[in-house]
Amino acid sequence: MAAATDFLSKPWVRWVAIALVVIALIVLPLILPAFANQTLARIGVFAVAVLGLNVVMGYTGQVSLGQIFFVGVGAYVTAYGVQQGWNIALVLILAALIPGVIGLLISLAAARLGGLAIAMVTIALPIIGVPLAKRLSEFTGGSQGLSARFSAAPEWTGLYDDQWQLYIVIAIAGVVFLLTRNLVRGKYGRAFAIVKGNEAVASSMGISPYRYKVLAFTIASLIGGVSGFLYMVVVQYTSPETMSFGHSITLLASMVIGGAGSILGSLLGGAYYVLAPQLTNAIDSSLTAVLQGVILLVILFVLPGGLVSLPRLWRRRKSEHRGMPALDATASVTVPTPHPPTQSEEKRQDT
Amino acid sequence: MGTFIQLVIDGLSAGSIYAALALAIVLVNQATGLINFAQGGMAVLAAYFAYTFLQWGVPLILAILLSVLVSFVLGAVIERFLMRRFERGDPDTAVVVTIGLLTLITGLCGWIWSFNNLQFPSLFPVQTVNILGAVVSIRSIGTTLVIVGIMLLLQLLFLGTKLGLALRAVAVNPQSASFSGLPVGRLLMVGWGLAAGLGAVAGALIAPSLTLTPGMMDSALVYALAAVILGGLSSPIGVVIAAWMIGVLENLAAVYVPFIGYDLKIAVPFILIFIVLIVRPQGLFGRKEVVRV
Amino acid sequence: MTLLELTEVTAFYGPVQVLEGVSLSVPEGGAVGILGANGAGKTTTLRAISGTVRAGGKIVFDGTDIRGMRPDKVAALGIAHVPEGRGTLAGLTVRENLKVGAYLRKDRKGIDADIEYCLDLFPNLRERIKSHGSALSGGEQQMLAVARAVMAKPRLMLLDEASLGLAPSTAKNVYQAIGRLRKESGIAMLVVEQNANLAFTLVDTATVLETGRNALTGTSAELKGMDEIRRAYLGG
Repeated sequence: MAAATDFLSKPWVRWVAIALVVIALIVLPLILPAFANQTLARIGVFAVAVLGLNVVMGYTGQVSLGQIFFVGVGAYVTAYGVQQGWNIALVLILAALIPGVIGLLISLAAARLGGLAIAMVTIALPIIGVPLAKRLSEFTGGSQGLSARFSAAPEWTGLYDDQWQLYIVIAIAGVVFLLTRNLVRGKYGRAFAIVKGNEAVASSMGISPYRYKVLAFTIASLIGGVSGFLYMVVVQYTSPETMSFGHSITLLASMVIGGAGSILGSLLGGAYYVLAPQLTNAIDSSLTAVLQGVILLVILFVLPGGLVSLPRLWRRRKSEHRGMPALDATASVTVPTPHPPTQSEEKRQDT
Repeated sequence: MGTFIQLVIDGLSAGSIYAALALAIVLVNQATGLINFAQGGMAVLAAYFAYTFLQWGVPLILAILLSVLVSFVLGAVIERFLMRRFERGDPDTAVVVTIGLLTLITGLCGWIWSFNNLQFPSLFPVQTVNILGAVVSIRSIGTTLVIVGIMLLLQLLFLGTKLGLALRAVAVNPQSASFSGLPVGRLLMVGWGLAAGLGAVAGALIAPSLTLTPGMMDSALVYALAAVILGGLSSPIGVVIAAWMIGVLENLAAVYVPFIGYDLKIAVPFILIFIVLIVRPQGLFGRKEVVRV
Repeated sequence: MTLLELTEVTAFYGPVQVLEGVSLSVPEGGAVGILGANGAGKTTTLRAISGTVRAGGKIVFDGTDIRGMRPDKVAALGIAHVPEGRGTLAGLTVRENLKVGAYLRKDRKGIDADIEYCLDLFPNLRERIKSHGSALSGGEQQMLAVARAVMAKPRLMLLDEASLGLAPSTAKNVYQAIGRLRKESGIAMLVVEQNANLAFTLVDTATVLETGRNALTGTSAELKGMDEIRRAYLGG
């Protein structure tokens, strides 16, 4: 395994791998059957949604139950814009911007409270969102929802619809992933991590937790809006059901299961979101929610880093076998040893 | 005037339910430092237990009391075997665990009892009384009184008994408490058990009007969390008053503010939060805590 | 008669070994000091005894092996740990703090009598009996912490850095009260102190720890006479 890791870290290997991935992304849609393309496209859609959630939750440590709301808003904006015949590029921009502004406003208020306030406030978003969508029927089509067909493959490409849609998803999702990757690997990402780790330390370093929480949340909602646009590209229909409470929880679970705070984990999360319900339905449809809950809990107990951390875990197990002790706390389990107040205690005092 | 009084009293009744759930959340938070997003789900499960006891022919009051008891045990077990690992750690991780628990519980309820709406009988007669020209339901008055009564009992427990003292000590400084011989683990279980029992009462009281479904208390949870935000995690009284305010205001808004209407009244508490936050960032009653590194 | 005996006790925080082999013994009714610089392992030794850190070696209290016991079980055996940082129960009043100290006792009258005794021992607390623990000054909180331990009617008291953060006069007051307590109650004491002068007013013997081991052990008189001790801990 060590030899494999060394091999993988050689720069030319990296480039070859990236080239292979790019080639695959270009070629696969052409050779795969329609159903596979559609599934991959939907995975892409929700990978973007999970990525957005990761920015605010995985990287900055703020639990948010509202991501699906922004996806829904993005989808509605897209559907409305297409129906009104607006330029598609404008629609895409609005689909990102409008949820972004809403996210900004919400986080300006919620982040002020500190602690778990963002979690407690965002839980209301899907719950308010559904009746709101039903109510504003001139914009949203009410309970019926809105459909918008605009992603048919143009004649000059010679592609089938499902291939064209998958390419669009790959292209836009690819850009979003790249931008986000640069964001989290740069100084903003470091600031997010510090805020996540210990807000008091962040303040003392001149990093305002409030500002970065607002920033993270806004970026998350922008990305969520893009995901909504892509959702319309692939599914071509949206309704209040899109942003239901149940979906909100599934999205959060997908992020955790895929791997919080990880770009690759977001992809895995998207895959989980799309594939898991199909799998659990196949086992027993009435047990879907139970299985979901069980899987999430098992991951939290056994693999808190998510599926993406499996290789890391395997590597650690192997090094343990060679006699290096794994680090663990030897302090008593029932009663914590005295320690300076950590972020957890401060957070409890904040809300 | 009549409508107004009716709305206020109905609002107090709904607010009492939110208050009970909010108190349970505060109780768990003070004891173990985390926010239990599954508190409402646990309350629904308790209501389903009561429903099953009813099916077995147990009289209503007894069925509810039994469900409170079962709930107490379940809460203690959940603390010991599920949550213990995540207490005093990162609260965000703990919250996700409770969300997983919520999913599991909702799923189990749906699987065992189906997702259909089930009828749940009310402790109170359907009649109404006339107060100052308003037609007020006995159920609303009864619900409010029962919950206020329970809250007073809990206050008595916490302030007047040795167990209550022990629970408070453990919540505030578990290590110091253990140095004085308090069995911290067991007391945490009791704390969770009490919170679960409180939720069970709320569940049984709201089930008649909402009908029993696995997602029955999802909205109530949202209201309860809003009450916690407004009242501040450190102030049980503040949380209760906030919950009542939310209950009353949303009812009034539903009728007197046409845009909000019945289906959007859940937005009311958050509009409230928005407004309050601009004035007082720490909530209505919470204390400004000093943050130490 | 030996009340507490530590033999080659080790302790780890994660992979870091903090105690490498500490031995000491406390006789019934006796007072032993643990001295040493910061990081020598003094507090960790007390934590090993009260069960808040996992330890190796032998820890025997009144014939019972208590190594690895949970803190509340150790307390039930008659050991009261007055922790570093005082462990004040913040939201509770002074009286309630004292009542928590007496948690394991069932004798109402005895408890009330002991509350009186504590208020007599620490008059400052009497004035503040209704105040919340968090409203007390550092010195008062230290007194409260000792009083809480007294309420448990322990046979052995573990005092961790009782003078930490206190003005010299306050620290002296606290130690005088503890001295009086020792004389009147016969409670054995294991005293961790950075301020060796203060410690020597209370303890009969002491051991000096250095990087997790015993470096020197002796009676107070012997230690006070040694040059190293004078230079390192008594200011020359």
